[in-house]
Amino acid sequence: MKADTGASFRRGLRDTVALLPPLWVFGLVYGALAVQVGLSPWLAILSSLLIVSGSAQLAMVGLLPFGAGPVIVATTGLALRHIPMSMTLSSLIGRQPWWRRFHLAWVLVDESYGLTINAAERQVPDLAAYKTAADLTLYSNWLVTTALGALFGTSLDPVRLGLEAVIPLVFAGLAAALLKGPRRWAAAALAVLTTFGAVLWLPPAWQVTSSALVAAVVASALPGKP
Amino acid sequence: MSSSFLIVVVAAITFASRISFLVRRHTRPPNSRFLEVFPVALFVSLAANELLAPAGDLAVTPNLAAAAGAVLGAVLFRRAILGVVATGVALYWLARLLS
Repeated sequence: MKADTGASFRRGLRDTVALLPPLWVFGLVYGALAVQVGLSPWLAILSSLLIVSGSAQLAMVGLLPFGAGPVIVATTGLALRHIPMSMTLSSLIGRQPWWRRFHLAWVLVDESYGLTINAAERQVPDLAAYKTAADLTLYSNWLVTTALGALFGTSLDPVRLGLEAVIPLVFAGLAAALLKGPRRWAAAALAVLTTFGAVLWLPPAWQVTSSALVAAVVASALPGKP
Repeated sequence: MSSSFLIVVVAAITFASRISFLVRRHTRPPNSRFLEVFPVALFVSLAANELLAPAGDLAVTPNLAAAAGAVLGAVLFRRAILGVVATGVALYWLARLLS
């Protein structure tokens, strides 16, 4: 392992630890909800193993009583945001062998994406190693907490415990760390406005992807320097 | 459709979107301005959507105090992630206790 690679990997591990407590909450809540809507514990764990997306998994268990159609439409709407994320990551990591691109895509979750974008801003030399460390940490904790929630958390109520705001606050933190330059500030302000519009006029599954894409397109079209 | 098959379908949809630009060995960004602002727009949208409309519709909940706390935390702690989360959680609990 090259010195840059090892240092980047260790930095990825270190940076990810700060995001683990909210992830534990999310994993426990997901595991508990999945069992509460009728999935067996092993299916709840299988879903975290294969899908690796908290928002898609929560949408899936929320819509499960309405059948497969609404689940597929909702998760497709949520998944579309991964396309520009994949584009960004591909341009950042440079040439990589297929197996590495495959595992970096497997755990292309909002948290590891945000950490990697921040790492790129801080000139971390090996972003693929950095993201691999973040992915391993997030993925293993996601699986363990899903299993714990599915097996022991059937009476867990995130709203009563005051846990509902933790995950969105992590996203707010990841956004705040990236706020440099007028164009990004404009993108943030536009994203708040487009979220209001999306909430008023679009079904829940399409709100995030649509508001982010519209805000980014408008902000990128603004004149002036970054 | 069985639940296990549905899980495989959702996993396939999610992975297809994630691998879309990573299939090729290397992609040159077609629009660097867009890629520069997309992460901020995405994370603000994720946060705003869940804080302003936790159930899909606009609602006055303690989450609004959490959103205000996130903004305050970003100012007080120079946009440090933990500062944003901690201040947001603190204001969320304050709003719950006062309501």
